[in-house]
Amino acid sequence: MTQRAHRAFDPSLLLLPAFALLILLFVIPLVWFFVGVLAEEGSVGAVVERFVDVLTAPGIVNALVTTNWISALVTVLTLVIGYPIAYYLANSTGWRFALVLFCIIVPYFTSVIVRTYSWMVLLGRNGAINQTLLSLGIIDAPLQLLYNKMGVLIGMTYVLMPYMVLTLYATMRSIDTNLVRAAYGLGASPLYTFRKVYFPLSLHGVISGALIVFILAIGFFITPALMGGPSDVMIAMLIERAVEITLDWTSAAIMSMALLAMTLVLYVIYYRVTDVRRMMGA
Amino acid sequence: MSEDTKVRLSRRQITAALGTSLIAAPFIITRPTWANVQLPVRTPGGSFDEVKKEHVYEPFRKATGIEIIPVPATVAKLLAMHRSGNMEVDLIDTGDDTLLQLDQAGALLPMDYSAFKLTNPDDLDPIVKRKEQVGNFIYAMVMGYHTAAYPTGKEPKSWAEFWDIKAFPGPRTLPDMASGSPNLEFALVADGVAPTNDKIYPLDIDRAFTSLSRVRPAITKFWDTGALSTQMLADKEVVLASLWSTRLGVAIDKGAPLGAQWNQNMVLVQSYGIPKGSKNIDAALKFIDFSLSPDIQSAWMRAYKAIPVNKKSYPATAPELLDPKTKLPWTQGGFRRDIDWWAANRTKVNAVWQKWVLR
Repeated sequence: MTQRAHRAFDPSLLLLPAFALLILLFVIPLVWFFVGVLAEEGSVGAVVERFVDVLTAPGIVNALVTTNWISALVTVLTLVIGYPIAYYLANSTGWRFALVLFCIIVPYFTSVIVRTYSWMVLLGRNGAINQTLLSLGIIDAPLQLLYNKMGVLIGMTYVLMPYMVLTLYATMRSIDTNLVRAAYGLGASPLYTFRKVYFPLSLHGVISGALIVFILAIGFFITPALMGGPSDVMIAMLIERAVEITLDWTSAAIMSMALLAMTLVLYVIYYRVTDVRRMMGA
Repeated sequence: MSEDTKVRLSRRQITAALGTSLIAAPFIITRPTWANVQLPVRTPGGSFDEVKKEHVYEPFRKATGIEIIPVPATVAKLLAMHRSGNMEVDLIDTGDDTLLQLDQAGALLPMDYSAFKLTNPDDLDPIVKRKEQVGNFIYAMVMGYHTAAYPTGKEPKSWAEFWDIKAFPGPRTLPDMASGSPNLEFALVADGVAPTNDKIYPLDIDRAFTSLSRVRPAITKFWDTGALSTQMLADKEVVLASLWSTRLGVAIDKGAPLGAQWNQNMVLVQSYGIPKGSKNIDAALKFIDFSLSPDIQSAWMRAYKAIPVNKKSYPATAPELLDPKTKLPWTQGGFRRDIDWWAANRTKVNAVWQKWVLR
């Protein structure tokens, strides 16, 4: 396309409908909710006081810490498990590629509740995994795989895996394999080649994948609620309880703002670290 | 089909067809049936509506021509509708504690008992008759047990025994704060408080949590939804539970090896309230009157396995819901959850719970 054609039609105009939708359906209701709920407190001083009260309550502080800790662990787990899968995808063709991609994509389109309940069937005290291990004589008593942090980690890692794999895949596809071959040609060992050539080239995929998974994980609600133990309380669970059970919408708004702030900070990092155009491009 | 016989559509034709059908879809799907009056009612959905449709909604439609349209909505959504002045349901069918929350937010109209024609308000259990809401059936929080662990007769017979994790070993579940209210009442009863309303309320929150801590080591998980409570018990994830009698009854009916212990049960009420902004108060009252009348209550409660609010329907109550000694519904021997206490103290309990649960 020539320079003139560019000037005749500014492609950023194409973003206007999406932008309008975002403002209308996301930004306005959100601001409306926050302002409306906080206005009930009366004065600015009272609002500040509520903020301090809510965000320093032991239960909520603990939930914020738990939320970040679980999200970090899930991010590491998805990365460690997802990286080889993405590598396989990026370097295979034909039915193998189709099969692995299918296995990644199908769960992605299944409801989180269904997937979580399936895990409960597998991991339960009398579930498939424990029954198998018991009958093989590997263990004497059922393992507690569910209703504790282990359960939350297994469930969330599984649910968030496609985001990591697909993000890594997009990056790995664009890596020029001639560079790897060149490294071999110059006598580098496979490990050295990976460490010095392939991994650095895939690094921005690693960072984007990790941030996407982390951002999604800190807002998780269903999986920790169903698969976690009594003390595995994540912030989204407390927000839901404040909205639905105690009808304490002020607390809910303040906790949501904290969560939104965390997400935005991470998004800024995401934006700074990754070259968004390169991600979307070839 | 071979290539040459295929009807070849251009991409533009397909796009046009898709676009047209997308735009037309709402008109086809929501074409109103003008012949009938429709009454949108907030309901819990699921099996609740399946049973109620057969035994209440359909007979009501045949009798009056008014069609009940079940609408799912949480209490937060109903409150948001009220605040925005755009109430989308004409009647609310939910727990009495939830209706009280809505009432205290100013969202309900007074209940007009004088409009009842089929139901004599004097026949209704006094605990379900309130100024802004009227109960439509009674159920209870009861003890459920897995019969493989505790054959009927060997199960704990009181909350004190349920709390005794040495004499009655095995994993347990109790309701989470996220279910609406944790079992502080049973915690007090287990600690020696007499199971009557005047002794239990106002709840001694500290004593209740201290008592809960004693049973805590045997709690696998606190349940937040009724579905989870029955699933954990049926899967033998836990062998003892405190859960809703209706959910437990359905599981037993389906053949799950479970039992119900009704001693010291806590009585709960499913209730109707008419929201401010209801567009059809007359039809809503007509429906309430109809569904509380003796014949409808009898048929419906026999199928749903809950306890009628209309005393005239007691003889038709499912036998497993009757105390064999008194021939009265088990709930007559239980204590009633004090929804007024909970409405006033739920936020406080929530704060204590949040701290306690992390220990």
